[in-house]
Amino acid sequence: MNTRFRLPLIALMGLALTVATPQAQQAKPAARTSTPINIPFEQYTLPNGLRVILSQDKATPTVAVNLWYHVGSKNEEAGRTGFAHLFEHVMFTGSGNIPYGTHDKLTNGVGGSNNGTTDNDRTLYYETVPANYLETAIWLEADRMGYLLDALDIAKLNAQRDIVKNERRQRVDNQPYGRVGEILSASMYPQGHPYSWSVIGSMEDLSAASEEDVKSFFRLYYAPNNAILTIVGDIDPARTKQWITKYFSGVERGKAITRPGIEPVNLSTEKRLVYEDKVPLPRLHVQWPTVGARHPDVFALSVLGSVLSSGRTARLTKALVYDKQAAASIGAFQSTSEDVGEFSLTVTPRAGSTLTSLEQEADAIIEKLKAEGPTTQELQLATASQELQFVSGLQSNLGKSNQLADGAGYQNNPAYYRTAYDARRAVTPGDVKRVAGKYLTKGRVVLSVVPEGKPELAAKPEASQKVGPADKLGSGGEVN
Amino acid sequence: MRRHLSLACALLLTLATAAPIAQQLDRKKAPTPSRIPELRVPTWTSGKLSNGAQLLVAERRGLPLISFTISFVGGTNQFETPDKLGVAAFTTAMMREGTRTRDAEALALALQMLGTNVGAGVGDESGSVSFLATTETFAPTLEILADMLLNPTFPAPALERLRAQRLIALAQQNAQPGFIGDRVFSRVLYGTAHPFGQTVDESSIKAATRDDVAAFHKAYFQPGRAIVTVVGDIDTAGAKAAVEKVLSGWTAGGAKPPFTYPAIPEARATAIYLVDKPGAKQSVFNIGLPGPPRNTPDYMALQVMNFILGGHFQSRLNANIREEKGYSYGVNSGFSYGKGPGPFRAGGDVVSEKTDAGLVEFMKELRGIHGGRPITDEEMQTARETLIQRLPSQFSSVTAIGSTITNLYVQDLPPDYYQNYAKAVSAITKDDVLRVAKKYVDLDHLNIVIVGDRKSIEGPLKATGIAPIVVLDADGVQK
Repeated sequence: MNTRFRLPLIALMGLALTVATPQAQQAKPAARTSTPINIPFEQYTLPNGLRVILSQDKATPTVAVNLWYHVGSKNEEAGRTGFAHLFEHVMFTGSGNIPYGTHDKLTNGVGGSNNGTTDNDRTLYYETVPANYLETAIWLEADRMGYLLDALDIAKLNAQRDIVKNERRQRVDNQPYGRVGEILSASMYPQGHPYSWSVIGSMEDLSAASEEDVKSFFRLYYAPNNAILTIVGDIDPARTKQWITKYFSGVERGKAITRPGIEPVNLSTEKRLVYEDKVPLPRLHVQWPTVGARHPDVFALSVLGSVLSSGRTARLTKALVYDKQAAASIGAFQSTSEDVGEFSLTVTPRAGSTLTSLEQEADAIIEKLKAEGPTTQELQLATASQELQFVSGLQSNLGKSNQLADGAGYQNNPAYYRTAYDARRAVTPGDVKRVAGKYLTKGRVVLSVVPEGKPELAAKPEASQKVGPADKLGSGGEVN
Repeated sequence: MRRHLSLACALLLTLATAAPIAQQLDRKKAPTPSRIPELRVPTWTSGKLSNGAQLLVAERRGLPLISFTISFVGGTNQFETPDKLGVAAFTTAMMREGTRTRDAEALALALQMLGTNVGAGVGDESGSVSFLATTETFAPTLEILADMLLNPTFPAPALERLRAQRLIALAQQNAQPGFIGDRVFSRVLYGTAHPFGQTVDESSIKAATRDDVAAFHKAYFQPGRAIVTVVGDIDTAGAKAAVEKVLSGWTAGGAKPPFTYPAIPEARATAIYLVDKPGAKQSVFNIGLPGPPRNTPDYMALQVMNFILGGHFQSRLNANIREEKGYSYGVNSGFSYGKGPGPFRAGGDVVSEKTDAGLVEFMKELRGIHGGRPITDEEMQTARETLIQRLPSQFSSVTAIGSTITNLYVQDLPPDYYQNYAKAVSAITKDDVLRVAKKYVDLDHLNIVIVGDRKSIEGPLKATGIAPIVVLDADGVQK
């Protein structure tokens, strides 16, 4: 997920599914009175196709305005990777009626905030403003949706291109282990698969984007019929609707967007890679292809991650970090995108243990779980913090707007957070056993990141293929 | 607090008003904001527990949430010795490793089943033990916090595991240019004889013993320097009863420490301190010098000055170096206010090939805030509006309320500080801003710490003629 400016990632920005956490009880199950899991909202659609979701919360005199466009790096073409995110930056350079700088002045400059964020599936823009600046925020968003190209010039594009290259340097090229994400994506997905490249893109492709690329991308994807406007906070709903109509109804509907079906992938064999990086210590990454947001197995996969590594007594953590003390840290989790998913395992070794032995030990623990399934108590532990997470999330207008917009965008249901909440709690030991057996198979990518000049520190080095810093990857699994 | 509105109703309204308005709209005209919403500063009660600890309670209904924190005035700078840095961090980690009635796994399981987590940490000048819970899980979580605070057993084998993990974490941090930059910056400014210049290293991690941990725990976690803050779905009487019940074994003792620091090293003429990071794609900049404590009468003027210089996205530094020049993904500046002389720092990551040009621009903006580039009315207005209108975010969650009000007591600020805040901000003039810029951003004594690829950046930096170059290693020692 790449953003315009350094900011902590907003909780729940992604699908609620990957949030691995709990809620409570000690030996006295289910009967507790629980908080209603609810974010009241209303929704409607403008004639030009803009979907609108409104939710009032008067706790703080502020409002979050969230504009969610259904376009991400998967909509890019080969040779133009990084474009969706570069475009996100262009959206802050002024629009037809609003000069550069005004957007920041009327959000940041009045005590609010703004940012944009791009992932594989969607790009979203948000402002949090004092409640008296709601109309202003609506005006700002409507103008760049309707009139961005009126103010676009190549100099602005070039300036933002340099900034994005700096973002890549800061997050990827100048960071130890920074290239892991793009190596894994390129190895997991076949060349040309929409999830095979990274959101930030390559330096080469970033240089290649033309003004015309910007214009055609904008015309297709930044149209009201491809967007969801979610407003949460201290609002007067009737006036808010008037403002939305006033500023957005004149923005013309765009062309219909064809969305080619994107299938998850299978790997028929294990791919073993070793990458030499400027890192002090080796690290092991294992990744299995799974399924995307509309597949019911994502809940059991999320719980599986918790059973393996959330909390001191989780299986991998207890065995490898505490009992054997072979690992300094370990993490296992499902990441869910709209069309695909991955289950990832990351292990940092303690001095004296090798990636080869850690891989074997982790595999043995996973095999045991596949054979016997988790206990009921393990499932309780895995879901116990869900209620607290949800209720504390209700304190953030922005967090709520993200949940509503993601539900609307991916599931056609703003209230999908509730479905996800319940579905995760309804996962049974049998479900976890089944998905572990189904997805955690030999078809996987095993990537060892090792200090430069020490490929022998890889897990099973003799069976692992070297990945160079500039390798064009994209040799991943086959599409179902 | 909320209700569903009719969907059909909304649709009708939208359709009815859409077309006519759109045609007459002047999109160039910014909407006029209505009146600034009234700032609602939460109210709270302040009292004492029987052991002398201060108790602050802010009732906030609406959601079934309670934030609980015990803060301790004084931190590693007051309670660690230079040869035992890192003992505080070991102590708070060891508080999870078991109590007299729960071993480490039992403790972890009990909290995980509640869905809560007790956090503990000690910073430079204060520390805390805290959690967030639902109304229902508040009492059982509080009981566990009390057990961790009062009855930890500090099993020696756990310390060895934590030590090994910390050495690995340190090795990982040492590979990050940003971490190296922070460390060298603080050493250059304060020297290793001042707590602000001292950082945990391999030898201090290796030196800590179980006895050190037990001794730190005993000396530090004392009610005489504690502020217990409870915010959320609870009233004062309920909070007090709950706390007194579980902390009855926590007997009176301790006091707020004096915050006396050794003198900072004599200011040296502006110099570039270069740390080599071969092959680095970016140069990490930290430019600054020791600053004033939080209680400086210049605080509000400094807030306005820094906002204009590097405190927001369209600040002078970021607007120039990121947005106009494209040298960076983001640069900024700020003060670290506390009881001691925390640093003023401007910096960010600059693409290697523009290291020299980046420094020229940093210096240009620093000279500019000294008067080279007069402050405009618009800059003053934006600073005022932002500083005032962003206050609600400090009261937007039970956790935020807790930390905002606790901070008033930790920093010895008046309880009505926020009621008078807008007035204080509005009183700052351009002359004030100029005066504090000159006083605190001393251009003749700046420490310019740059971590980057020496081979490619040293020559160009020298050619700028801005200052002499001193080459340091990653620990800040002159080569």
